[in-house]
Amino acid sequence: MSFRKIDIDAYDEDVLLESELCEPDPRDPAQVLSDAKQKQAAVRSTLAKGDIPGALGIALDNTPYGPNVEEAKNLTLQTVVSILNSTKSSEINNVVKALSQDAQDTLMKYLYKGMGMPGWGDVSGSVLLGWHEKLTEIAGTGCIVRVMTDRRTV
Amino acid sequence: MSAPEVYSIAKTPVTCHAFNADRSQVAVSLNDNNVQIYSKQGKEWILSETLSEHDKLITSIDWAPNSNRIVTASQDRNAYVWSLSPDPLTGKLVWKPTLVLLRINRAATFVRWSPNEDKFAVASGARAIAICSFDAENNWWVARQLKKPIRSTVLSVDWHPNNVLLAAGSADMKARVFSAYIKDVDKRPSPTIWGEKLPFNTICGEYSSPAGGWVHAVGFSPSGDVLAFASHDSSISIVYPGGPMVYNIRISSLPYVTLTWTSEDALVAAGHDCQPVVFSGSEQGWALIGTLDDTTASSAKAPGARTGTVGRLNSTAFNTFRNADTRGHTGGDNASDTELLTVHQNTITSVRPYAYSGEGVMDRVSTTGVDGKLVIWDVNAVSALTGKMGGLRV
Repeated sequence: MSFRKIDIDAYDEDVLLESELCEPDPRDPAQVLSDAKQKQAAVRSTLAKGDIPGALGIALDNTPYGPNVEEAKNLTLQTVVSILNSTKSSEINNVVKALSQDAQDTLMKYLYKGMGMPGWGDVSGSVLLGWHEKLTEIAGTGCIVRVMTDRRTV
Repeated sequence: MSAPEVYSIAKTPVTCHAFNADRSQVAVSLNDNNVQIYSKQGKEWILSETLSEHDKLITSIDWAPNSNRIVTASQDRNAYVWSLSPDPLTGKLVWKPTLVLLRINRAATFVRWSPNEDKFAVASGARAIAICSFDAENNWWVARQLKKPIRSTVLSVDWHPNNVLLAAGSADMKARVFSAYIKDVDKRPSPTIWGEKLPFNTICGEYSSPAGGWVHAVGFSPSGDVLAFASHDSSISIVYPGGPMVYNIRISSLPYVTLTWTSEDALVAAGHDCQPVVFSGSEQGWALIGTLDDTTASSAKAPGARTGTVGRLNSTAFNTFRNADTRGHTGGDNASDTELLTVHQNTITSVRPYAYSGEGVMDRVSTTGVDGKLVIWDVNAVSALTGKMGGLRV
């Protein structure tokens, strides 16, 4: 019997659940999805004007997290990736510097999420790595540490 | 302004350290089950005594300045209080252990004497904090446990100056303030900003950092009216309970694991970043001021040291792999490449008060680290975080 594979937590009535580790999103899942769709449209029109910092700011604000919002999460990843892909690599530095600390941390979350899903949608590893390098230069390793500790996964 | 005093006391990591009242002796755990007491002789620290009673790694030591007693906490789930008493045979003063009935079924992780030295708090992996007081009848220390609402290992505790309130940082990502009022020991506490009625296990506050992370270190300001905690999301939070107002400062390098207040408006934090860093502020806001480790000065001493700091992506390891990848290089070309510019060459495990210049104003702090060094820093010798360590770039 492979006793190491037994889920001992199942026998602990006082076990610490994943859901207890972070505050849930106060919004309703349906509303989260409609927010994400609205943001996607807003990002498209901002991108059409060539305003990449603006578009990224919209996309990274109030992002969906927590359980039951998979569709909205994927939609937001798509939106973020579309912005990342349409940025010239020479502009990345200035775009990242213009972001708030919150937005930088959130962007890093999406970079790692994208790297975890190679080939999904328009996700391109080389684009993400390019952003990752620039973002780490500006926001530091602390930014990466925060992605690892934050239970509000995007 | 003076340069830090650096002592290499061991080749092994120093898990924790505690000085005696006049700073002539220091008790350390060298990552094993013995307490080593070093005495200062001239400019050297000489091993003078070894206290052996624990079976497993000693996680924390505290030395009460007035009653001259040492309390130790260990992974063997025990704590001992050590006091100097004459040996019945020789009459020589020796450290005698007294067992503490902790009643915990996991490792003890952290221990601190209360300001009046009549109680101490032992944090543990058993989701509990044991508040211990002396039972004269049985000649042992008994514990009452703070349990609710702790959901995971408690990593650090700190006493409020009123001897009743206790702050605790825990792996369930929360910093809490509890009442550790023991009827037989404490007088009724006067109301504080944290609460008025304070029966045992009252929760006076519960705080967390936005990005979560284990709370590695907690600390009350000298007045006890402000709480600071450092969490594993590379941030430090300062709590003003009145508002309640929480300032969260995110840093660009690796997380801090220990902190101490130096005055009502400043604190020193240190950790995986290998250097003690000073934060300063008031109820209006807090900011990172600089580092006590002037890396520009030490680079002159050690020209071979690499110009980066810990946790930078563009590090030696990174370059080694990149060279191996792009140029087919293998093996290091310079042995001193692994030397850091900072004084501590590895994680700082503990930062503690060392000397005071006036009432509640600290002059110097001491740190120990995984590199086996003991360093005493002048807290006024703050220099800006150099180059890429600054808030803007890493």
